[in-house]
Amino acid sequence: MTSEAKAVVKREWKLEPESEYRFEMDPGTTLAIKLIVGHAEIFGFELVEGKWYLFGYECKAAVYTWQGCTIEVAGQPSTEYVSEETSMSAYANLHIAFEQMRVRALRKLRGSPPHSDEPGTPVEPPRVLVLGPENSGKTTVCKILTNYAVRAGQGWSPVYVNVDPSEGGWAAPGIVSSAPITGPISTYSPANPLGSAATTTPMSFTSNALLPLAYWYGHADIRKNPLLLERLIRNLGENIKDRFDNDPESRVSGLIIDTPSSFASGQGSNDPRHRLIKACIEAFNVNVIIVVGHEKLNVEMQRAYSSQLTVVKIPKSGGVVELEYAYRERVHNYQLHAYMYGQIIPAPAGVTNATIGGETFTDLALAPSSTVINFGDLSIYRIGAESMAPTSALPIGAKRVVSEMQPAAIDPAQPGSGLLNAVLALLSPLNPDENERYDEELLDLTISGFLVVTHLDIPRKKMTILSPNQGSVVGRTAVLGSFEWQEQ
Amino acid sequence: MSIYSQSYPGHPPYGAASYTHPPLQSGYPYPYLHSNVAAPPPPPQPVYHYLDPASFRREFTTRLSELQVNSRPLIQNLSMLAQDYSKFAEIVAQCIEEHIRRVPPWMKLPAFYLLDAISKNVYEPYARHFASFVKPLFLETYGQVDEATRTKMEEMLLTWRTGSPAGKELFAVPPQIAIERGIWGDSAANYNSFSLSGRVTKAQVLSELEYTLGQKERALQANPYDTTSQNHVNVLYQLRKLVDAGVSQEELQQILNQLRTLIRQVPQPPTSSSSSNPTWPSQMTLPGSLSSTSYPPSSSAPTSGQPHQQHVIPPHAVKAEVGIFNPNAAAPQLAASKDNIASLLSTLVKAGVVSASTSVTPDNTKASAKVDDQDTQRADLEREFSRYYRNSILAQKIQLNSLDIMRKRPNVVNLLYDQLSLQCKQCGLRFADTVVGKKRMEEHLDMHFRQNRKATQNVGRGHSRSWFTSAEDWSHDLPPDVKGKGRENNTRSFNARVAAEEVAKREAELRAQYVVVSPGDEAKALSCPICKEQLKTEFLEEDEEWVWKNATKKDDRVYHATCFAEATAVKSSFAARLRFEKHGSRSGTPDTQSSRTTPPPDSRISRSKSPISPPRESKVVGTKRKVQSDDIAFGGNATPPFKKAALCS
Repeated sequence: MTSEAKAVVKREWKLEPESEYRFEMDPGTTLAIKLIVGHAEIFGFELVEGKWYLFGYECKAAVYTWQGCTIEVAGQPSTEYVSEETSMSAYANLHIAFEQMRVRALRKLRGSPPHSDEPGTPVEPPRVLVLGPENSGKTTVCKILTNYAVRAGQGWSPVYVNVDPSEGGWAAPGIVSSAPITGPISTYSPANPLGSAATTTPMSFTSNALLPLAYWYGHADIRKNPLLLERLIRNLGENIKDRFDNDPESRVSGLIIDTPSSFASGQGSNDPRHRLIKACIEAFNVNVIIVVGHEKLNVEMQRAYSSQLTVVKIPKSGGVVELEYAYRERVHNYQLHAYMYGQIIPAPAGVTNATIGGETFTDLALAPSSTVINFGDLSIYRIGAESMAPTSALPIGAKRVVSEMQPAAIDPAQPGSGLLNAVLALLSPLNPDENERYDEELLDLTISGFLVVTHLDIPRKKMTILSPNQGSVVGRTAVLGSFEWQEQ
Repeated sequence: MSIYSQSYPGHPPYGAASYTHPPLQSGYPYPYLHSNVAAPPPPPQPVYHYLDPASFRREFTTRLSELQVNSRPLIQNLSMLAQDYSKFAEIVAQCIEEHIRRVPPWMKLPAFYLLDAISKNVYEPYARHFASFVKPLFLETYGQVDEATRTKMEEMLLTWRTGSPAGKELFAVPPQIAIERGIWGDSAANYNSFSLSGRVTKAQVLSELEYTLGQKERALQANPYDTTSQNHVNVLYQLRKLVDAGVSQEELQQILNQLRTLIRQVPQPPTSSSSSNPTWPSQMTLPGSLSSTSYPPSSSAPTSGQPHQQHVIPPHAVKAEVGIFNPNAAAPQLAASKDNIASLLSTLVKAGVVSASTSVTPDNTKASAKVDDQDTQRADLEREFSRYYRNSILAQKIQLNSLDIMRKRPNVVNLLYDQLSLQCKQCGLRFADTVVGKKRMEEHLDMHFRQNRKATQNVGRGHSRSWFTSAEDWSHDLPPDVKGKGRENNTRSFNARVAAEEVAKREAELRAQYVVVSPGDEAKALSCPICKEQLKTEFLEEDEEWVWKNATKKDDRVYHATCFAEATAVKSSFAARLRFEKHGSRSGTPDTQSSRTTPPPDSRISRSKSPISPPRESKVVGTKRKVQSDDIAFGGNATPPFKKAALCS
């Protein structure tokens, strides 16, 4: 906290209709915002009048108002200003268009007579793939669209799919995951921009007790093992399909798919992004592609897919911030920390009764468990070889010793196993029926959660594992990725 | 029985302001929700921070003075406040007592509801504080209010008998007895012993009848497949007809005793399990609280002999009653004379043991038809609302293309704000100002109430991140509006499979049992005392003897082995289920296999996580693990009680 920020600073901002108050924060500071009068929302999440909302962990966000409002801000953001140039009207139009699709799909499902609109109007619910370059606000667009859908009062519960392994979303980075959203998602910290996976804490918002389905990719970069990523995307698609088959009504709410920025640009036609985009379209049966603020990508997508689906370009918000690498690294740390320990955002001086994301308490602390286990208690694998050159870089005719998809067991007793401080994904139990097992089963299992190896005792063949809860991991299987985390 | 049951249609708890203000009589039961048009809404209720007693007293008194009508949000807010400041319990108690004594008679009942809610939900230390003045206050109020309010107070009083967390008297025995004596005379004091002495008044029996009926109907609503409760409800209706028509003192006594036996087996968890646990269970245990003291407005009730009774008949009950009045369907039953009481009572008793005897099947279908009816009604309303929404959505001319998206002025404000004019003051979620919207908002507020309660109770207890769900669960557990935990992989489906196998095995064993027909009785038709179906005789070649197949002999009577096993199982699982309901599990759905074969703690966990458990099994289609899904489907078919009853024939 900078020295001058210690004084209590409270200011009022009067926002004109369709304008927004944007702020950025320094590490270690907190900010509180209260809606005094009018209506206001943060990325589609409506604020309640008279409540203090806390922000922390270098949160960058904006309070938008459709009808105008007055807010009070306590604390010292590093940057703050009001802008009237937003893309909200375009996003709202998108929302309405998607609502029309949902409504038509529901009508068809219930067998109601078709509306008197043009024949041939599609009756499929929106399954939207959102693409865009770095810092274009893809996640924000996805969040606004999702929040608007759940706020419509129609009982929609769209499934939010996050195929960006560098963004933890509701948990920690490295996963490809999806969760049905039934209530609005608040924004208060980059540690969980998409709400929070369920904890034992009673929560008022369903978005803070999400039940995601997650597959472990293990790396932030999609080019590290695109084959694996593609397989996980297809697995996820299968599960979503199962879910929709089981409950056709849930299908009507549609899908919103957030993608990594590396889907938007790459070098040359050999780049894996094309395959991955195609995999997404097929796996999730995408019928709308949204390109956020990228003319060239829009043209590219139009050319490739406009015959089978709708491609729409939307502007990026003027509020998006260029994020440097170090910031992203810090966010990864925040996310793992929040996964294990929860978050505590102290209220700025002079602010009482503040809430985190609208929850009634300010302390979202969690208690992970640290246990010492024998090396043999947990089977640990790595998918593919430790460091893999791209196939194109191999000598012509050369074959890999270990293929990208092959699970390789890791012996913690070997020096240089890379396990210390490594983030592991705990897999769901393997098939109890030995006959049903297969080599690459590990790739097709969802994960139960994350573990961190905090200590290795090679002579005594023991290691210390930080686990999010008291559940035993003995006899289970875990997979290593390239994420590391150390408690600071 | 639990706060959860409030969310059922036809039971707006605390909302029934029928006797209060004249202006509200025909209006919605939720004056609070109306307030944005009528009166200014009460201020938002954020976290409370009144540290000194004087300002707390001031604040509480002010809030209390707003409680002029029967508004559930107000009562909830006040009881949350009381819960947060239990250190000021004395002040709260004083304020409420003063308030009740001071206000005009029509304002007294809401305050009593508040007292009721606080004592049941928070219990310690409030019940203690209230106990000191509850008797004079109750009797004094009772003397001042009108007939309708009295009936409601009697209702409430009956819930106090089992209102404590341990299922005992909410305010200890002496005040309870004293109040009951003050209202119904001496005989009321006997409710603890099963004595037959003393006079019983018709009014007393009737109000106990109503109370029991209310309990049963809620049980039935929570669990439409509970044939036992259905039987109870049917019998109770008939009993009420009879009592209404007038019966002798002795019969009144009998009925009363039976009722008490019934209600005693019903809502009370075995005291051994709960009294050993002095702290309030972390799950919502609201024995007969909010919902049991609340009934919809009387204005909706059609004709009935005694006007005061109308107030305690939920609309769907009225419908069911009409069904019984239907000359074609139920005339014979209605014509039942007093002689039938004994047989009715015996049916009642037996109904406690026998789950689904074929003789009640017509009634069953009727009752479930009513439930369906109500569902349809609500579905219609919802459809109406969503039709309106659909039309307003489709009326917007927006093409999904880059140009149109940029060019048009969105009318989203109307959709997201104006059409949804009710806002939850806690989280900001909006609801339409329609019947369905109000219903949803009410459910939503209940959710907050529960979560806040849990949050305050759990302070100091460590929380942790749950594991994610397994793929199997994720694809089938729909919709995940259940708060809380991720599940540790597929233990549930595994349990279900094991349970199904066990059930099938046991069934086969039972069917293999037989009883040798005593010589000379071969031609005699013998029927099972439980299902009334004839036992089938068969000649067993090996033993060269006539036997009754699928039969067992107990106390010289021959039963179907399956019926008998069922009856005993139901007896225990019924009790177990009621225990769950007491513990506030809304989803007390007939997940029969787990309630019968898994130990209660397990099934409770799976139950509270699956709000829609009946269809779950049927939804298991097209899964990757074929073997398992087959097993589950089999398990699902093998277990529901009525299926089993059919097997007896």
